[in-house]
Amino acid sequence: MVKLLDSIGLKSVNFGYIKGKKIIKNIDIDINIKDITCIIGPNGSGKTTLGKLMMGILRPDSGEIYLVGEDIAEMSLGQIGRKIGYLFQNPEKQFFSNTVEDEIKFIPEIKGLDKKYIEEKTALLLDLFQLNHIKNSFPLKLSQGEKQRLALAAILVNEPGYLILDEPTKGLDVERRKVLVQVLKKLHGEGIGMTVITHDYAFIDQISDRILKMHEGEIVEDKRNER
Amino acid sequence: MNVDPRTKLVIVLCLSTLAIFIKDVLFLNGVLLITIIISLIFKTNMLQILRKIKRLLYVLLAIAVIQSVFSAGGRTLIEVGELVILTTVGLQKGLEFVIRIMIIILSATIITTSNSREIVQGLVQWKLPYEIAFMVSIGIRFLPILIEEIKDSVIAIQLRGIEIEKIPLRERFRVYSYLFTPVFVSTIIRAQKLSMSIEMRGFRAYETRTSYTVLEMSYTDYLVIFSSLLCTSALMYLYVS
Amino acid sequence: MIYPIEVNDLYYKYEGNLREILNGVNLKVVEGEAVAIVGLSGCGKSTLLYNICGIIPHIYKGEARGQVKIWGKNILDMKLPEIATKVGIVFQDPDTQLFSPTVENEIAFGPENLCVAREEIGLRIERVLKIVNMEKYRLENPNSLSGGQKQLIAIASVLAMETEILLFDEILSQIDHEGKIKIREVIKELKGEGKTIVLIEHDLDNLQIADRVLQLKDGKLEEFKDGETVGLNRA
Repeated sequence: MVKLLDSIGLKSVNFGYIKGKKIIKNIDIDINIKDITCIIGPNGSGKTTLGKLMMGILRPDSGEIYLVGEDIAEMSLGQIGRKIGYLFQNPEKQFFSNTVEDEIKFIPEIKGLDKKYIEEKTALLLDLFQLNHIKNSFPLKLSQGEKQRLALAAILVNEPGYLILDEPTKGLDVERRKVLVQVLKKLHGEGIGMTVITHDYAFIDQISDRILKMHEGEIVEDKRNER
Repeated sequence: MNVDPRTKLVIVLCLSTLAIFIKDVLFLNGVLLITIIISLIFKTNMLQILRKIKRLLYVLLAIAVIQSVFSAGGRTLIEVGELVILTTVGLQKGLEFVIRIMIIILSATIITTSNSREIVQGLVQWKLPYEIAFMVSIGIRFLPILIEEIKDSVIAIQLRGIEIEKIPLRERFRVYSYLFTPVFVSTIIRAQKLSMSIEMRGFRAYETRTSYTVLEMSYTDYLVIFSSLLCTSALMYLYVS
Repeated sequence: MIYPIEVNDLYYKYEGNLREILNGVNLKVVEGEAVAIVGLSGCGKSTLLYNICGIIPHIYKGEARGQVKIWGKNILDMKLPEIATKVGIVFQDPDTQLFSPTVENEIAFGPENLCVAREEIGLRIERVLKIVNMEKYRLENPNSLSGGQKQLIAIASVLAMETEILLFDEILSQIDHEGKIKIREVIKELKGEGKTIVLIEHDLDNLQIADRVLQLKDGKLEEFKDGETVGLNRA
C-alpha cells in the first residue's frame, strides 16, 4: 500500500472486544491530517472504538494503521501521544493533578520545558477556555462542561499536530459550544487537523470538511462538507 | 453444563477441601486431574483466566521455590559444598504447594460460569441475607473495574506525550505518583455515584424484596451434589487409611 | 393544594465551597406536568435535582436552608428508599448507574426492591426494553454496551420502577439522533400517562416536550423567555 505522508491510513482493519463479535469490520480509509473529519453514526456503531484504534489505545485484530507513513504498531503510546492529542469520552479519565492549573502544567514540567514558557502558555489556555476562576479547584469536582474544557486545555499545552476528540461537545451549553467551535477553527487555521466523534449535527455543519458515517462497524457513507 | 450455582459452590468446596486436607503428591495430582476434567465439562475459560493471573502465578512459583529450599529432610538432591540446597522433602513440599493452589484456582473458575446475580440468588436462597450477598457481588464486580481504571490511567498519561520507557527512573516515580490521584479519587467518586443510583432504585426500601431470578434445583443438581459429597468422603477415607 | 414537587426558598452550599450554588429557589410542579430547566453548565441544575430526590442532604452533606416537599411531605422526614418509591432519577453518566451482570437483572433490581411480583417484573422488563428499543440486548452484560446504549438501559431501569415523578439529568446528551427522537416520544407518552417530570436540557429541540421552561440563573429559577438562548443549542 502507498504510505501517504499526509494522512492516517487504515488498511483492512478488524477489531472485536470479544472473540467472534466484530466491532470494526474491515475498514479501509485514509484520513487527511489537514482536514476536520467528523465520525457520526448511531450508538454502538464503533465510533469510539475506531478512534481508539487510530490512537493506538487498542490494537487491531488484523490490518494495519499508519500515522503519516509510520506503522503505529511499532510506536509506543507516548510517541503517538506526542503527535496526536486525544480527548476521552469521559474526560475525568485523563486528570492527574490536584488543581486545574497544575493539570495543564505538569506534563510540560515533567518534560523539563522552560518555566516562563509554561507559565505563559498555561495562563493563555486558562483564559481561552474560561477556566481562570476555577484554576485552584480540584479537577474531578468540576462540572461536566468544565471538565471537558480543562481536558482540551491540558491536551493543547502539548501542541499536538493532530487531535482526536471523542464527543467534545458533550455536556457543553451553547455559549461554551460556540467558544469550542471558535477554538477548534482557530487551531485548524494553524494547521492542526482533527477527527471528531460526535452526535452534534449543528457542530458538524459548522466545522467539518469530511463526514464519515458508521453503521455496525463499517463506514457506510463518506462525503465532503462544503462550509 | 447448566447446573445451579449452588451445585457449583458445593463442587468448589469439595475440591478445595480435598486440596487443603490431602498432603500426598500423588493424591493431589489425582484431585488436580479431576478438577481439570470438571472445569472442561463446565467449559470454563481456564487458559484465559490463567493468562490473566500470570503475574500471581510467578509469585506462587517463587514461594514454592523458597519453600522447597527451606524444607529439609529426606535425601539431598542439590548441595553446594556443605550447604544443602534442595532435598526430596523440600521438592515434595514445593510441588504440593503448587498443585494445591492450582486446584483452588481452577475450581474457582467453575463458579465464574454463573453470573453474579445467580450466585447472589443462590446464597440468598441458602438464607444468607441479601444485603451481604449483594455487597459482596458488587465488591467482586468492582475489582476488575479498579484494575481497568489503573490501566486506563497508565494509557491516558502516556497519551499526554509521556514516553515512560525513556524517562529516567527518578522522574518515573514522579510520573507514577500522578497516577495515584485519578485512581484513588475516581474510585471514591464512582463508589459514591454507585451508591446514589443503588439507593435511588429503592435498595432496602422494605424489609423484604422479591426476586425476578429464582433458582430451582433439578434432579441433576441433587445428583451432582450427592455424588460430589460421596466422592469427596471416599477420597478422604482412602487417603486417611 | 398539594404538589408532587414543591421547593420553597431553597439555599444550598456544597461542603467546602464559599458561595451558595442555589440561592433561593422556588418551584411548584403540578401533577402531570413536564418542566424543563435550562442554564449554563455548572450553574447548579444537577444540584437542584439532587435536592428534589433527597440525595442532598441524605448522601451529600453541605449547608441547606429552605424546604423540599414530595406530595406535601418534607424530604427530611423521609428515608431515601421511601423517596425512591415516589421519585425516579436518571443520571448524566450511565457508567456509574449500572451494576448488574445482565440487562435483565439491571432492570429487575428496582422493582425487586419495591416488592413487585415476579410475573409483573417480567412484564415490565419486556415493556421498558421495547420502549427504549433494546429488546435484543436483554441478556447482554451492560458493561459491553456503548455509552449511549448504557444510558438507554439506565432509563429503562428507572422506568421499570413506575414512579409518579421522574427526574432526567441531561439524559439525551449521549444518545444518537434516532434514539433522541425515540426517547422524546417516550417522555411525551409518560407525560400522557400523568407522570410528573422535571428534566434538565441543553438542546432546544428537546425542550418542545416540556410544558414549561425555567432558567436557573445566579442560583434562582426564573421564567425562561423564548428567544433568549442562554445555555441552549439550536440544532
